[in-house]
Amino acid sequence: MKSFLGFLKPARSAYAHCDGPCGVYDPASARIPAEAVLSMAKKIAALGDATDLESVYTRSRFIIIKEQQADLVKKELDILWHDFFKPEHLDKFPDVHTTFWEAAKLASKNKTENDPANGDALLATIEKIHNMFWSAKGRSDVPFYTAG
Amino acid sequence: MRRAAVAFALTLWMLALIRVMRRLRAYEVFGSSMVPTLRHGDFVLADAKAYKGRAPRPGHVVVVDDPRDPERTIIKRVASIDLVAGVWLEGDNAEESTDSRAFGAVSVAAMRGRVLAKYWPLPLRLWRA
Repeated sequence: MKSFLGFLKPARSAYAHCDGPCGVYDPASARIPAEAVLSMAKKIAALGDATDLESVYTRSRFIIIKEQQADLVKKELDILWHDFFKPEHLDKFPDVHTTFWEAAKLASKNKTENDPANGDALLATIEKIHNMFWSAKGRSDVPFYTAG
Repeated sequence: MRRAAVAFALTLWMLALIRVMRRLRAYEVFGSSMVPTLRHGDFVLADAKAYKGRAPRPGHVVVVDDPRDPERTIIKRVASIDLVAGVWLEGDNAEESTDSRAFGAVSVAAMRGRVLAKYWPLPLRLWRA
């Protein structure tokens, strides 16, 4: 049987492909770095205006993490936006574009400002995306939760 | 005389068969963007000369050069064709397909052939009417 299949087996490949780990999307991949951004904003705020060397180093490190995680949020949002969401979803969710735009803008705002309220707003927008995403997949059994 | 006629007919038939077979290319399908029409691991036959002088038509399942990686061949369905814009390809499994919705229309010149049959696993399935 195996050699028979070997005989039938084509030499050429045709890809009925889908980018990346196909079909495996989850807004949680944007939520986790967004939580990190919020957490860093809180920690930076808690440091206040301390200028001793230790605090300066710590603050710098927190800022770097906040910047990186905010960039990661944008990247993950992009994957959901242009790989998962398709034109046919727009009929059911006409505000897909505005919501993602809002979320990306908030990710940027979290970089340029340090206010935990921006982190909360970002998470709230990701929750909206979470709801649209799972509704688009026809599932109502996936609750939004946070790790922090 | 009669044997000669049979041999002649048989030879003609064999030549015709070889002519048809030379146009055919077998491909193994990778991925799930053509589900339920084709599944991962299916073996198909494509007519490599289907679009020599003829345009693809909506509904045809085609093998095409990947516009983003010319080393690779993709398999999709023709959704529509426009003389200026080119051929718009979509996977039958829209949720799990990267196609013209992502990379735009492709040119007719990129067509590697029209898929005519799925020959494995059985049962055989033919597309040409």
